[in-house]
Amino acid sequence: MTLSKLVIRNITRRRGRFVFTLMGITIGIASFVTFLSMGGSLKSEINRESAALGANLIVTPIGSCAYEQVSILTGEILPSNITMDEVAKIRAIRGLSAVPVLTEKSAVANKPVSVNGVDVAAMKAFKGWEIAKGAYFSGPDESAAVVGSAAAELFKLDTGSTITVRGESIPVKGVLKETGGRDDVTVFLPLPLAQRLYKASNKVSYLAVKVDNLALTDRYVEQIREATNLGVVSDKQMLKSVLSIVGTVNITLQMIASVSVLAAAFGIVNTMLTATYERKREIGILQALGATQRTIFTIFLLESGFYGIIGGATGVVLGLLVSITAAPYISQNAFTSFVKGSGVGAMIDLKTVVGSILFSAVVAILAGVYPAWRAARLSPVEAISYE
Amino acid sequence: MSDAIIRTENLEKSYQTGAVTTQALRGVTLEIKKGSFTCIVGPSGHGKSTLMHLLGGLDHPTKGSVFLEGVEIGSLDNSRLAQLRGEKIGFVFQFFNLLQGLTAKENVEVAAMLAGVPEKEQAERAMKLLAQVGLAEKADSKPSQLSGGQQQRVAIARALANDPAILLMDEPTGNLDSAAEAEVLEILRNLHAQGKTVVVVTHNNEIACKAEYVICVRDGQIQ
Ligand SMILES: Nc1ncnc2c1ncn2[C@@H]1O[C@H](COP(=O)(O)OP(=O)(O)OP(=O)(O)O)[C@@H](O)[C@H]1O
Ligand SMILES: [Mg+2]
Repeated sequence: MTLSKLVIRNITRRRGRFVFTLMGITIGIASFVTFLSMGGSLKSEINRESAALGANLIVTPIGSCAYEQVSILTGEILPSNITMDEVAKIRAIRGLSAVPVLTEKSAVANKPVSVNGVDVAAMKAFKGWEIAKGAYFSGPDESAAVVGSAAAELFKLDTGSTITVRGESIPVKGVLKETGGRDDVTVFLPLPLAQRLYKASNKVSYLAVKVDNLALTDRYVEQIREATNLGVVSDKQMLKSVLSIVGTVNITLQMIASVSVLAAAFGIVNTMLTATYERKREIGILQALGATQRTIFTIFLLESGFYGIIGGATGVVLGLLVSITAAPYISQNAFTSFVKGSGVGAMIDLKTVVGSILFSAVVAILAGVYPAWRAARLSPVEAISYE
Repeated sequence: MSDAIIRTENLEKSYQTGAVTTQALRGVTLEIKKGSFTCIVGPSGHGKSTLMHLLGGLDHPTKGSVFLEGVEIGSLDNSRLAQLRGEKIGFVFQFFNLLQGLTAKENVEVAAMLAGVPEKEQAERAMKLLAQVGLAEKADSKPSQLSGGQQQRVAIARALANDPAILLMDEPTGNLDSAAEAEVLEILRNLHAQGKTVVVVTHNNEIACKAEYVICVRDGQIQ
């Protein structure tokens, strides 16, 4: 017999209570892990999308804030307020290449899909796209669509099939090779066609800009601002502000999850206090047999610690299961669309697993301190005389 | 004097319950000889259990001293007292002696653990002690599967797990029928024959008659 074995025997003696107390901490930790792993994959996804965008600068209407910047990365609809005049002015600046993009949405088979109107030739050069099937647009005035690889797979599109955008049937001309970014789930149209379909004549949502000399980035920003009345951010600034919003959202979610962990902690306090009353007599016997106050304290603290470790472990498993199975069902919006894109592998990270179990154990041990102290403080005579 | 394993001097104990003070012991001086079989008898509520608790270092006296093997233990702090109980004392109580969730063998093992016996040696010792009280075949039974007499025998085996210098029992047969009582008594006699110091608090004349020494506690004093 060891103290740990004694503790395990004590815990498993009251199976019902054991299970229900455990469920409290399991659910608390599971929600914690769910938010944590989703938040974690959100961040890595944003980094990936930002890299896939391949721009050094983003030009957006003046006054755009981080939300619009998130939308660029997620393919949400943006207000299209930049005129082709302004586009021309920016493109006239030497030492940079700028591509205008009109971001819209459509639905295929009742599922939302991003539709981008692009300057076909400039965009292909800008992104370095390759064609997997069929062909790329031959000119800007073509009435056809080129789709990303994942979109093609998801909606069962192939060369020769058609998609309906704004009530108009558009033939699919080609499928892009996988890019690893947002482009894979996007339908591309030539800009004039997109502007006509979405009644945004002469307007675009943003420009992606690549500069020839990164060292001169600040000067290009100045030049764009002088030439137009538009806002300019660098990809790094954009990444920073987007990550900071995501960070805020994450912290909020984790705080909510922490509250459920806290509630579970009080469940442990309750269970352990009940145990000290129930086992008063047994505590007295252990004391008569030579258990010191410290031993009694340890026994009770170990017991709540076990709740923490076991509940933490089951909570982590449950949380990961939830985040893996729930992710595809979360409705698409600026934040959650990232989650959908990321794979299972991104969610299971060892730091989250170990950290959550440790967190659970620490919370449970803290919750056990008061009951353990109560138990240890019992006078042996009082405990033995208790019936 | 030299052969006394326990000795008390002017032992007093009072309990404070709210505004009421109960004087349970009023100056008890006694000695218990090493290897003796001593009974403590007396009317209910007159301080027998209180005396036994003090003899075994389960509580602190209000006044006076207790010497165990010549060492004053009444003024030791709680953790030293607990250690001392683990090393030198074996307790058996009247009711609900056993840890309910554990088997007979595990009950003995817990006591061995608290006495510092390494885990590997605990099982062997537990089986030996259970055999000694005639319960080897009940080693894996839970207390709820044992009769009252069997439970008390397990409790005795457990009290012996630390090979104590002295065995203190508070009405070990108070709850048993005469057959079970006889079995317990037989075990006590054997232990005494093996040289253990046995102190039994009892109402039972049959046990009292078999004792070498009888201490009568009345009104918190010895007569
Ligand atoms: N923890 C306590 N708090 C207050 N009073 C106590 C406490 N323990 C014992 N007493 C009182 O001390 C006195 C002696 O009690 P004790 O238990 O020693 O008697 P006893 O001789 O063992 O009686 P019994 O034969 O019924 O077991 C009693 O008046 C009892 O009410
Ligand atoms: Mg009594």
